[in-house]
Amino acid sequence: MAGITFKNVVKTYDNGVTVIPDLNMEIKDKEFVVLVGPSGCGKSTTLRMIAGLESISSGDLYIGDRRINAVPPKSRNIAMVFQSYALYPHMSVYKNMAFALELAKTPKDEIDRKVKAAASILGLEPYLDRKPKALSGGQRQRVALGRAMVRNPEVFLLDEPLSNLDAKLRTEMRSQISKLHKRLGTTFVYVTHDQTEAMTMGDRICVMKDGIIQQFDTPQNLYDYPCNLFVAGFIGSPQMNFIDAKVKKTENGYALCFGDTEVAMDKEELAAYEGKEVICGIRPEDFHAEKHFFHGNNVMEAYIDLDEMMGSESYLYLEYAGQKLIARVPARYAKKSEENIKLAIDTEKIHVFDKESELAICH
Amino acid sequence: MNKRKKAAEKEISYAKWGYIFIAPFFIAFLVFQLIPLVQTVYYSFFEYYRSGLTVIGPNPVGFDNYKALFESDFLKYTGNTIILWIAGFIPQIIISLLLAAWFTDVRLRIKGKQFFKVVIYMPNLIMASAFAMLFFALFSDNGPVNAALISAGILKTPFRFLSSVSGTRGLVALMNFLMWFGNTTILLMAAVMGINPALFEAAELDGCSPRQTFFRITLPMIRPILVYVLITSMIGGLQMFDVPQILTNGKGSPDRTATTLIMFLNNHLYSKNYGMAGAISVILFIICAILCLLVYFNLNPTESDRKTGKKGRAARKEAVNG
Amino acid sequence: MDKKPSNIRTIIAYIVLILLTFLCLFFFYILIINCTRSHQQIQSGFSFLPGKSFAQNFNNVIHDAKLPVLSGIKNSLIVSSCSAILATYFSALTAYGLYAYNFKLKKPAFIFIMLILVMPTQVSAMGFINIITKMGMINTLYPLILPSIAAPAVFYFMYSYMQSSLPLELIEAARIDGCNEFKTFNRIVIPIMKPALAVQAIFAFVQSWNNFFIPALVLQENSKRTLPILIAMLRSADFLKFDMGKVYMLITVAIVPIIIVYIALSRYIVAGVALGGVKE
Repeated sequence: MAGITFKNVVKTYDNGVTVIPDLNMEIKDKEFVVLVGPSGCGKSTTLRMIAGLESISSGDLYIGDRRINAVPPKSRNIAMVFQSYALYPHMSVYKNMAFALELAKTPKDEIDRKVKAAASILGLEPYLDRKPKALSGGQRQRVALGRAMVRNPEVFLLDEPLSNLDAKLRTEMRSQISKLHKRLGTTFVYVTHDQTEAMTMGDRICVMKDGIIQQFDTPQNLYDYPCNLFVAGFIGSPQMNFIDAKVKKTENGYALCFGDTEVAMDKEELAAYEGKEVICGIRPEDFHAEKHFFHGNNVMEAYIDLDEMMGSESYLYLEYAGQKLIARVPARYAKKSEENIKLAIDTEKIHVFDKESELAICH
Repeated sequence: MNKRKKAAEKEISYAKWGYIFIAPFFIAFLVFQLIPLVQTVYYSFFEYYRSGLTVIGPNPVGFDNYKALFESDFLKYTGNTIILWIAGFIPQIIISLLLAAWFTDVRLRIKGKQFFKVVIYMPNLIMASAFAMLFFALFSDNGPVNAALISAGILKTPFRFLSSVSGTRGLVALMNFLMWFGNTTILLMAAVMGINPALFEAAELDGCSPRQTFFRITLPMIRPILVYVLITSMIGGLQMFDVPQILTNGKGSPDRTATTLIMFLNNHLYSKNYGMAGAISVILFIICAILCLLVYFNLNPTESDRKTGKKGRAARKEAVNG
Repeated sequence: MDKKPSNIRTIIAYIVLILLTFLCLFFFYILIINCTRSHQQIQSGFSFLPGKSFAQNFNNVIHDAKLPVLSGIKNSLIVSSCSAILATYFSALTAYGLYAYNFKLKKPAFIFIMLILVMPTQVSAMGFINIITKMGMINTLYPLILPSIAAPAVFYFMYSYMQSSLPLELIEAARIDGCNEFKTFNRIVIPIMKPALAVQAIFAFVQSWNNFFIPALVLQENSKRTLPILIAMLRSADFLKFDMGKVYMLITVAIVPIIIVYIALSRYIVAGVALGGVKE
């Protein structure tokens, strides 16, 4: 079993476009890493470089201690699950799963044993003789997983494997893949554009944009300590609110001012920004409508443009000091649209970002 | 440093396989078509023929072969080819349009469409030379057609189809029509069925009669494929050979009024007059190259896969013509 | 109310269709009838009923000393089958090379093939005869078979079919599973392309079976000749002295096998004509 290391990896296509300018990343053995980012951010290219489907323009790529830049896909000891499943339409489920082993000249009885074992884990036994055409989307997805499993690879690569499934099936398969990872104990690299999938499945998440890693950390850390505006906005749903604010020195520290509100922030990092504009990030759930959160200057009164009742909670689309905000509050404390509501801000959870560099100043 | 990495990169680059896979095609094309074509052009500027058992030439003569060509019956044969092509193509396109319109008209509810399609396409697959031989046998002076016409009292003496200019040309045109109208019908039908049905429904709501629908909606919408059919049929017409060759035993009789350009080329190839054969080929090539360019530009602006696919099929079929 | 005009149109449509059907089938009907009748019967007049001389005519045709019909059938079969196999396999290979790989000359190569898509082979016939003479292939079947490797129109059909039914991910999956590039083509691509290969193989076979111009120039020995040339020979023989039963029988031998195959597979062939590269 093995980890994956990228050292100064560059990918430039034949037409001269550089999609990955300089990638350094270390994926540990047995880790479930999710590569996430908007489309065109280079996450799929990264995965395909690990698979050997894309060549590496310069830099070094290792699986374990082996430099694999020039190793063909079949010798890399990896398996890949594709978005479209890529099942061979002319082969039965059994044949699909057995194909790689046959090519590797594995003895027949061993192939049979491995295919049947994988099929039983994935609940595919009744379908082994069927052609992919006769299967549902979820079943095809499981066959694709099974095909990867039987090879017993060091690394599992999954390229948006759930995006062709409907919402309910997606949730189901999400937990199935997580379980599979625990069971197999191999390295998983999973590409998705869906931050929910990333948050729920990954041991660590690598957020990418324009071929550059923005932040590579655990889901909790990404959520609580986003390193820049992009990560802060990308992770979390509904999105984090970004408010233009001014830093002001007060008697016992600093305060962020926007509209009539003045939120105390006792952080030394703000010293350099005194009197300057910053961006203040507040997650929707860090607005509180409950009275016991109200203490002094952290309360603001905002106008409700629209309210979306979600059941246990409500999303309030607010307007405050000319800026649009979203708050997520327990339904029974919410008010209706076109009313004003008083909300307290959880000052502990405010993120402050530099307006120019968009990097986090403090959390 | 950089170079070493470049070399490493190549090991998992698949580009070379692209070249390997397309190589046989291009080698075969080079050997069997491109080099021959270059040679053909080359020898068209030489005096190079066989007289008895002695070979004359090759001596460079500039454009003499071309001059000789235009002084010979080349223009007459060009005219023959055009007449034979048009006489077959006009009924072919009219009947095909009509059938395509009928087959796709939901209000007509024609039954047995599949049967009719199978039947009308069948002559396209028939060996043209055998078909011509059959027509020759059937329409010969004492063949079954004359026998039937006489016994029906329509004629008193056998009509000598193959001794009359219009009889021979008419038979060639009839055979070309029979061989190609089914193919064209199926192509046009597919084109009509590719039109968004909502358009026809809208036309019906707007009060279009079937005739108006055909001229105002159907025809403009299938124009690209009509152009395609026209051009490929022209190329097919230029290649016309098997039918008149067999029907007239290569003589183009009566009085060479059924001799086509390719028959003319064939005669020079048989008598091993390579200079003249080259000159005919070059002129044919220039005309075909222009038509090929037209096909290319007709195929490529329409990005829709459906249409180009159909056209691709059509291209192959038309290329069989000859 | 509105039914009447549409009714009249339906009737006209059926009349025209039946006329055309008659026109298409009538000649073949006479052919089939006449190939079962003896020379005397044919000369004595026209009949709608078949005669009893089918076996006799067939026997006469295949044992004719001047017309090597049996070897003609054999040659035609060899040329057509080999051409069909080469044309479909190499067209698929070429299409795959241009579809699945990225390389510098990809676009120029594609445009080039598109430009020669409908270029007739006759224009280079003179040089063709020259070059195969130099290569010692005159009077052999090779020059009729080998050029099928470059069949632009078949290529184009295959390429369109791949666009609609061969996702690139499938090829990548095969690579990861351990196929080399040739294995991917032979074990994954070819089976997926089967419907397209079948349709194109039929067309390529028929085209080659019916081909007359080039074989007539290439094949000069009796034993090498294909069926269309034998028909041409029959035509140039002194026609009046010929046994008409034999004439009709030879034509039957040349076209009926194709018609039988066509009728058996008509559904696919007609769909193939109509749909071109489009799947389903």
